[in-house]
Amino acid sequence: MGRPKPWLMALLVAAVLGVVFAAISTYDFVQHLDRQVHALHCSFIPGLVGHAAGESGCQVAMMSPYSSVFRTRVWGGIPISLAAMSVFAFLVFYALDLLVTRRKSDPRATGFLALATALPALASLVMLVISLSKLGTTCKLCVCIYAASAVCLVSGVALWRLAVRGRRDGAADPELEHERGEPVFVGLAKRSASAVESGSARLIAVGVPTTAASTGFLAAMFGIGIAFVGVPVVLYLAMAPDHTKFIGTCEALPHPADSYGVMVPLARGAAGGAPAIEVLDPLCPACRAFEQRLAASGLADQIERKAVLFPLDNTCNWMVTEATHPGACVVSEAVLCAGAKAPDVIAWAFEEQDRIRRETKADPAAAARIVKQRFPDLAACVGSPDARSRLNKSMRWIVANNIRVVTPQLFIDKVKLCDEDVDLGLEYMLSNMLDRHARGTLAAVPLENGAGPVKSPANPGSAQPVRPGPGKPGAP
Amino acid sequence: MILARAALLVVLLAVPAAMTGWWIRAADARLVETSAPAELAPVASASDVGYCNPELKRILRRVLLSCGLVGGDAARGCQPVQARSVATMSGHDFNALFTPMKDRGGIVQFEKDKSDLDAADTGLVDQVFADQRGASWFFVVARASPDGSIDHNRELSKARAESVMSHLRQQFKDPDLDKEVGMLWLGEEFAQLEAEFCAWQRSSSAACNPEQLNRSAFVAWIDCQL
Repeated sequence: MGRPKPWLMALLVAAVLGVVFAAISTYDFVQHLDRQVHALHCSFIPGLVGHAAGESGCQVAMMSPYSSVFRTRVWGGIPISLAAMSVFAFLVFYALDLLVTRRKSDPRATGFLALATALPALASLVMLVISLSKLGTTCKLCVCIYAASAVCLVSGVALWRLAVRGRRDGAADPELEHERGEPVFVGLAKRSASAVESGSARLIAVGVPTTAASTGFLAAMFGIGIAFVGVPVVLYLAMAPDHTKFIGTCEALPHPADSYGVMVPLARGAAGGAPAIEVLDPLCPACRAFEQRLAASGLADQIERKAVLFPLDNTCNWMVTEATHPGACVVSEAVLCAGAKAPDVIAWAFEEQDRIRRETKADPAAAARIVKQRFPDLAACVGSPDARSRLNKSMRWIVANNIRVVTPQLFIDKVKLCDEDVDLGLEYMLSNMLDRHARGTLAAVPLENGAGPVKSPANPGSAQPVRPGPGKPGAP
Repeated sequence: MILARAALLVVLLAVPAAMTGWWIRAADARLVETSAPAELAPVASASDVGYCNPELKRILRRVLLSCGLVGGDAARGCQPVQARSVATMSGHDFNALFTPMKDRGGIVQFEKDKSDLDAADTGLVDQVFADQRGASWFFVVARASPDGSIDHNRELSKARAESVMSHLRQQFKDPDLDKEVGMLWLGEEFAQLEAEFCAWQRSSSAACNPEQLNRSAFVAWIDCQL
């Protein structure tokens, strides 16, 4: 075997790193199939678990609807990183195969390699654009995969260009000289007519192996590449846990009627869709993210949503000890005051929530000022006894329905979409709940001891520090 | 060589699939293991603040039961004698129960021998009632000054309590009103307010003296659960 070309070695190393990074990303994704909250590996150093702010980009990317496909077929969908891992593994295989079969100077074989590297590179480019334009952040692990893809592409193209030039220049290429007289492994390939007819005559003249990759060989490699992606995907679909057993196992609404008149319509949703109640805080980032995921899921049009406001702000909410979302009480009053225009106020609040929270933290009067500036027609209502009373009744509705102090929460026909299913599993669980609702079989599942629905494990939503209440020893 | 390539193919094909399968099985196993309840966000509940000691709750329960706010009785309002009997304590001690609620209540002051609410009165009632927060009970405790007969003052204090209730009903259209507002009319017979209550929010800005202070309806949210 001759000295490996530097570009091939670079490709090989990048592909191996690509496998490693994509595998870590896939591992992070798959471990969430247990419905628990897990730390993510979010570092440029393979295997290092991310912390605090550095993890947020990875968290956002993984929880976004762009991290996986076929989300209504399997809980969480099939992670894109699984396909990436498989493609990189194929590149490793193919690069090694080029080495052992001495086709590293074959324009057809290296051209196929260059084409193969274009796939992860193109996918990386698309994901990078989505990250920057849709998510507004990037994850370190993803950047590593993008970089590995880029190095593979550059190396693959360079290798192919060298092979083309080498074939044209023949012995002038010193690397080709290395291969002079070495035994040739033909393998599955057959000498193609085109190879004979083109530059191969000159190659024969200088003694360089002439077994250009046949179309059959390339087709076989293409098939192998498909298998590299297809086998793990099929395995994933076959082995993924059945999460439908959790439908109805979380809380249900004992008193869903809007006796206080505090429910407000939400923008999306079709009349005649499944009745849904969303418990939300207009300044809660998790609620905004949920809204975006719901919109991206395409399922929002199948539910007729009403919102019950639950501001996690202790200026009006006695159940929390601090204002995690400063200004949420004022904005919630504005939503209630807006009546039919409530969806507009909520949409505006989602857009401006970072600024409102930040400015209200510095100046408690800022939220009212910002709201009245944007919605002058609501100025008289916001802060009035009637508005405060209605907001209070909204929270009384929350108490009456034994709802947990966390936002967002979505109830389809009185049955809660479990907190574990509001991000990765949203499309799968919501579509299944809607199917059951359409069939009339959606219902809360009672515990065996008859104490009510199964309590759900830790959730990723916006839980708050809560005042200890009676009968809840140990509550934070 | 073919075998080597085939082995390479199998290994590299198997590694991603095997790893993924292994991880999925592990997640599935954890899914079964963790079907027991884990740490949960607390359930929303009404307020139960520090001053809600067992003694206060016992009195509160007696008053609420007697006045029909709990226990399913449709009766509303307590007669003065009833209030004294359910409280089983002196007027001073009865008033002392409410002193921790200074920030949650106010005193609506009426003109002599009147039970009408003026703008300042309704403003105070609205302000206090709108600030319910997590409280479960709203008390309207009406009184009369010792001027006039006992019977007349009973009726006068009852009219003052009902005046507040009527305003709440009209202003807030709260379906829980009848379940959360407790009215007591004490006339001049029991638990007259003492000068210390002059420091509370009042609807009148006039100088405060005990006589004027008792031509009133005391309103407050009580942040206790029973």
